[in-house]
Amino acid sequence: MTLLKVEHLSKSFKALNVLKDVSLEVREGERHVVIGPNGAGKTTLFNCITGTLPINQGTVTVNNTQISGLPAYTAVGVGMSRTFQKNNLFGSLTVEENLHLAINACKPYRFNFFKPINKFTDVLEETEHLLKEWNLWDRRDRVVNELSYGEQRLLEVLLALASKPKILLLDEPTSGMSPAETIQTTKLIQSMPRSITLLVIEHDMEVVFSIADRITVLHHGEVFLSGAPEEIKGDERVKEIYFGGGTLKHA
Amino acid sequence: MKNRPLWLNLVLLVVLAVMPLLLSSYGLKLGSEVLIMAIFVMSLGLIIGFAGLVSLGHAAFFGAGAYTVTLIGDHLNNTYVLLLAAILVSGILAFISGLLFIRSSGAYFLMITLAFGQMLYAIAYKMEDITGGVDGKPVLATFDLGFGAIDSRLTFYYVTAVAFAASYFLLRVFISSPLGKSVRGIKENESRMTALGYNTRNYKLVVYTLSGMMAGFAGGLYSYFNEYISPDLLNWMFSGQALIMVIVGGVGTLLGPAIGAGFFVILQNYISSYTERWPIIMGLIFVAIVLYGRGGIIHIVSLIWNLLFRRKNRDQNMQHKEGTGIDSSKSGTSV
Ligand SMILES: Nc1ncnc2c1ncn2[C@@H]1O[C@H](COP(=O)(O)OP(=O)(O)O)[C@@H](O)[C@H]1O
Ligand SMILES: [Mg+2]
Repeated sequence: MTLLKVEHLSKSFKALNVLKDVSLEVREGERHVVIGPNGAGKTTLFNCITGTLPINQGTVTVNNTQISGLPAYTAVGVGMSRTFQKNNLFGSLTVEENLHLAINACKPYRFNFFKPINKFTDVLEETEHLLKEWNLWDRRDRVVNELSYGEQRLLEVLLALASKPKILLLDEPTSGMSPAETIQTTKLIQSMPRSITLLVIEHDMEVVFSIADRITVLHHGEVFLSGAPEEIKGDERVKEIYFGGGTLKHA
Repeated sequence: MKNRPLWLNLVLLVVLAVMPLLLSSYGLKLGSEVLIMAIFVMSLGLIIGFAGLVSLGHAAFFGAGAYTVTLIGDHLNNTYVLLLAAILVSGILAFISGLLFIRSSGAYFLMITLAFGQMLYAIAYKMEDITGGVDGKPVLATFDLGFGAIDSRLTFYYVTAVAFAASYFLLRVFISSPLGKSVRGIKENESRMTALGYNTRNYKLVVYTLSGMMAGFAGGLYSYFNEYISPDLLNWMFSGQALIMVIVGGVGTLLGPAIGAGFFVILQNYISSYTERWPIIMGLIFVAIVLYGRGGIIHIVSLIWNLLFRRKNRDQNMQHKEGTGIDSSKSGTSV
């Protein structure tokens, strides 16, 4: 079943056409990776899918609900959440407080104003569960700004996971990480249950080929090619545009 | 958060309760004024420090509360009804203006709240028949909670003390609740809150309305306290003074703005008897605090407190700003 459907999506910033007639389908449970050179429009595509930026043309459908044109906060309601390429956290709050906010977003009592948030046991339990699973439990009392960059990068994903999404959009989850952190993060992504569909932007080819079921190549705002990892790996034109004639690291 | 300082709340209650033993009759009157202003400034501190909504028109809600008690009070002398009406009217005004303004932020929000406040000021000024215009109006309603009119300064002091304590504890609970935490999150990072699924505008509107209601409550009490009101209560000068009290007291804390209110009301009381240049003095203190005081008076107090009593783990304590009501995020561990 198709979970996310993007049809004929176009986006321009003034005269700059960043996305041109992009269509994309992500099936339920799929690990779909978007690659493409810098400036290809990958992040903009995420912004348009989630409603963070208004689109000029086209439709976005999640789970048979059309969400294009709706404000960004509604995405979580249809089961879609996203991370950011540049860490977008609550820097002066603790790790725990960050998660409380992320978890609270979908609770029926989010407008409660007379009971402390840390008296809601389900918030505490979910926080503990996620932090332990992602090896950040011993960091729970730390202010986010004091975390290492890699830890902040993990928290970035964790906040998006907290709403228990059906589809998770990860924008370069390993960017800026050390090789060891990249391996750890890749493992965590691989171990996510198939009940969570993944749409991932990734630059590190080793990571791309170790998680992808399907790859879409974006070039100059257009879908250049979409196919199984083997097809992409073997395609000479992809090597040409993406690597400027260089070779695939992993090929 | 864990060792939430109950002692702070207890100390506060004890201080409020024993103050009258130390104060003269005149001091009691001043104390009541401080507490009423503290409620008002605390309500402004809530939207500035916790929601990031810097308003220059908050006097509109204080004034609306004061005028509600005064104008309706001419016809109906029931303290409960009048105070509730004050809260309701200012709440409705805050809700409607918030609905219109809350999408703008930063300097735009400042300007548009200023304009809104001035609009109410102009209405009160022009509608002489009803409001008494520039001359203002005496307050006829008497303060009576059902046990006879309260006209002793001591009793009224306790009324304002209870009102202040109730407002403070309400806000204390609010800032640790899901809604309060969410508002704080929006101030910290609105784009992430949106991505997490929060309709941030609704949250800001709720806290803005709540803040307006509290300001209106303070305004209503002020009518009883002062027994006379004038359009100055709605003027942007008054909004600006409250803003200065918030900043000097300590942005991002609950008690800071209350302390700022007390500091200025008391200072003004003594200084104005010597000089007419009160606004200049207030401005100079403001500049000094902004330049050298960083987190405001409450920050300075907490520094001294930590130096005296908590030398060992002061860095730790500084982090738990919510717990102590003391925000030191900006200067954090750099004592
Ligand atoms: N908010 C914006 N305003 C104007 N131009 C933008 C904006 N966001 C992205 N762009 C432009 O769109 C193009 C694609 O950017 P982006 O989507 O970030 O690429 P990628 O993520 O593939 O590296 C770039 O040329 C960038 O400068
Ligand atoms: Mg990008």
